[in-house]
Amino acid sequence: MQFNPCMKHKLIRDSARHFAETELAPIAAEIDKNATFPVAVIEKMKKLNYFGLQAPKEFGGAALDSVSAAIVVEELSRVCAAVGLCVTVHNGVAVFPFLQFGNKEQNEKYLPRLARGEMIGAFSLTEANAGSDAGSVETTAVKEGGDYVLNGTKIFVTNGGVCDLALIFALTNTDRQQLQSSVFIVESSYEGFLRGELEDLCGMRANPVSSLFLENCRVPEENILGKLGMGMKIGMTTLDNGRIGVAAQALGIAQGAFEAAVKYAKERQQFKKPIASLQTIQNYIADMATEQAAARLLLYRACELKDAGQPYGCEAAMAKLYCSTVASKTTSLAVQIHGGYGYSKEYDVERYFRDAKVTEIYEGTSEIQRMVIARAVLAKLTL
Amino acid sequence: MENKKKSIWVFGDYRNYYQNRVTLQLISKAMDLAKAIDAEVCALVFGHEIDEWIMEYTAHGADRILAIDDPALKSYSTEQYLAIMEALVKERDPEIILIGATDFGREFAPRLAKRLQTGLSADCVGLEITPEGLLVQIAPSFGGNMLAEIVTEHHRPQMATVRPGTFKEIPHDNSRKAQVERLPLMKGLPAPRVRLIEYERCAEKEHSIENAQVIVCGGRGMGNKNNFAKLHELARILGGGVGATRPVVYAGWADHDALVGQAGKHIKPKILFSFGISGAIQHTAGLGEADFIVAINKNPQATMMKMADVAMVADAGDVLNSLIKELKKRIRE
Amino acid sequence: MLKLVVCIKQVPMVTELPWDEKTGTLRRDLAPGMMNPACKHALEAALQIKEKYSAHITVITMGPPTAKEVLYEALAMGADGTLLICDKILAGSDTYMTSWILAQAIRKHCANVDLILCGAFTADSETAQVGPQLAESLNLPAVAYVEKIEMNGRILRVRRIVDNFRETMEMECPALVTVSIENYLPRYVGLGGLQSAFGENQIQVIDATALGIAAADVKKQGSRTKVRRVFLRKTQKENEYFTGVAVNVVNEFLNKYERKISTVIGKSIEGKERTRGK
Repeated sequence: MQFNPCMKHKLIRDSARHFAETELAPIAAEIDKNATFPVAVIEKMKKLNYFGLQAPKEFGGAALDSVSAAIVVEELSRVCAAVGLCVTVHNGVAVFPFLQFGNKEQNEKYLPRLARGEMIGAFSLTEANAGSDAGSVETTAVKEGGDYVLNGTKIFVTNGGVCDLALIFALTNTDRQQLQSSVFIVESSYEGFLRGELEDLCGMRANPVSSLFLENCRVPEENILGKLGMGMKIGMTTLDNGRIGVAAQALGIAQGAFEAAVKYAKERQQFKKPIASLQTIQNYIADMATEQAAARLLLYRACELKDAGQPYGCEAAMAKLYCSTVASKTTSLAVQIHGGYGYSKEYDVERYFRDAKVTEIYEGTSEIQRMVIARAVLAKLTL
Repeated sequence: MENKKKSIWVFGDYRNYYQNRVTLQLISKAMDLAKAIDAEVCALVFGHEIDEWIMEYTAHGADRILAIDDPALKSYSTEQYLAIMEALVKERDPEIILIGATDFGREFAPRLAKRLQTGLSADCVGLEITPEGLLVQIAPSFGGNMLAEIVTEHHRPQMATVRPGTFKEIPHDNSRKAQVERLPLMKGLPAPRVRLIEYERCAEKEHSIENAQVIVCGGRGMGNKNNFAKLHELARILGGGVGATRPVVYAGWADHDALVGQAGKHIKPKILFSFGISGAIQHTAGLGEADFIVAINKNPQATMMKMADVAMVADAGDVLNSLIKELKKRIRE
Repeated sequence: MLKLVVCIKQVPMVTELPWDEKTGTLRRDLAPGMMNPACKHALEAALQIKEKYSAHITVITMGPPTAKEVLYEALAMGADGTLLICDKILAGSDTYMTSWILAQAIRKHCANVDLILCGAFTADSETAQVGPQLAESLNLPAVAYVEKIEMNGRILRVRRIVDNFRETMEMECPALVTVSIENYLPRYVGLGGLQSAFGENQIQVIDATALGIAAADVKKQGSRTKVRRVFLRKTQKENEYFTGVAVNVVNEFLNKYERKISTVIGKSIEGKERTRGK
């Protein structure tokens, strides 16, 4: 465990920050307001490996370690959480399952296109009646000759409106006794792959979140990721990794709001002095700074465990739980420090405040994270 | 060469005479310094058909002019000037050499100092003489709001480039006399290795903010590119130009042409509006000749606010919008 | 293949470092380092030359061990080789000394260099002296503030705008240019490039001894200038503060200075009916 960022991590951060501040900062408020996906900037990001953060070099990825990848997501989210979301979902839950479970043919076919961003990926587990409870999924995949025919509706799919490839979680055996799920690689060009309207959400509005409809969508058998019946395993493993990504995203949002609040507190004059000189505001600043530092350590610990090949599910859940809690609290305080202005769209903290909330919800709510953590703790033989 | 009277040399940078009178300003300051160390002020003019400058420098206070008038010197040439200066300095041993901190001066002076193996302070904003007769070169330092007093103790000549606008020229006086030494171009100087292929005066640069009466400058406090762009509207109403700080230029909100400061334009407006600028010396270095400064910043402690004649403590964007609205109203009525 | 050398410097990330009035030093600890922007433009110019004419780029910097960072960044952007000159006895070098040391390093490690590129000035000191002085140390033809570089065999054609003149110049390699920030907008650093820079490359570090620089040289080539005193520049002048809501502040100001403004802009804004400020 290293407590000081190494030179590489600093440079990764500087580079991502430079890009985000130059390219995303000028448009972040606007794309949030109009709920538009910033295609031109995304194209630039593809060329700079933002869509292949951890994919190996031979597939056109950047082959970053997990801390580096988290830093990139932090820095994008610090400026524009919706783009941070696009990147973390693509890398964390669309590319990652290939790296973990994809066979040679699947990886050779899809990884280069995913890693270069020629295909933007999505991961769809959630349905109207199934979220964290993956067992309640109702989408089905029925074998017909060499294909599987998929039917069902996926909701709240991040990147749904723009994805070129979705990993669809579907039941391959609906028999209650032998319930079996698998993950299908579904290209958006397949017949029967339909997108719903974009969701009108509270935050992260520039990300095209939508429903996906599978209507007799034929998927070749070789597009079963890994093996038939590996759905649950892939789902759980992917969520562990996705949580690291959401934690990084939450932390980035917190950082952005924190910086805005500190800057404002130093500038804003009341009672003939900057409000930063008031003890109440200083207490807020101290708490925000401390919580972010703690959150960052939790996050990087999960990353390092993952890279070391050790179990990290519990740590990823802790990082996700804590980072998102900190994000919500920090963005709320940032609005508070801004007073009335903070409640106005004139100031970025209003957007951060809306963006932060969902980090406590998606990729498993805070309640689910607590469940994961508690189970892990209770399963230990020694504490 | 008569006697060993000390000499303060001022390099004649005449190419931009109408925009930039730094040589005259330096002659004026050199006259002050010369009194303190009992020296003469000697202006150097190298070029072709240079009588106009010889007369100007005489009328503005030089005691002596060293002039080399030769077709080979028709255009500025760092290498040739270096060779000439090296020869002249060896022969005459000046005590001090002052050079205007124009683009040319800042390219030429460092090479000259290196060749003469002496020290050089860049972009000075003050010059003084110590009781021991040393030149104190006051130069911006550490990239912040600091000034450093620099001396060259053991090497001669003492050299400085000086920011245009730092000193005031003395009035033109045709009755002044100087000893004009017209020297031949030295024989055997190495041929210049840098060849000037084309050059032209950039008209658009001459109409740049350097000559504007009203300038509206913006800094990072404008928040974003769109807000910054509104400065052009105010400038249009006021018939002025738009200037920018370096962070703003780097952020792509403004062109490099708009850069005001040490590495950019030195401006001399009658009224300067400064929106959301903290006042780092890299920027304020270019404001020495601004007459009346109106600064707008949320932070009353900002250096720019302290430098200003009028300081408005408010959001730069809000003030900009109000000002545009009010001025339009008042001018239209 | 052309051999290019780019000299870069690590500077503090903020231009306005706070000054600790108690200790009389700069709070360098408050700002991390970065590659000086003009140096980055110089590197970009070199990279574009490399793409067009094929070249090998060596990037050189002088500084503490942490200055390796800017060399890794240069590698990530596409440089081929690096050199860090790092030695305590060289700390505090002025431009005179720095240019001499860089010249030593180039003579020793990049003897056949065709073109040296430097940033036109640094963000932390802005003296703009090292480039020209390096050219002088190596006795090279040089042009400062260059915006565009073209090569025709061994002939370099450069363009620049200085003191209101647009100039085109030619010189033969080997030569030196300092690159302005007008053009050659630096490329973004790709993440894969960064990962590779750290994975495959070693930064070459050399000290004074390796460069054949002895303490006596440091003394002889050492600073020509001496700083007697550093002080805060006086900025406070008698001024007038307006505070309050923007629209009121603006009206108060316009009412008070209407004559002055009218005179300067040559349009009257005076004597119109309006709400009087206090």
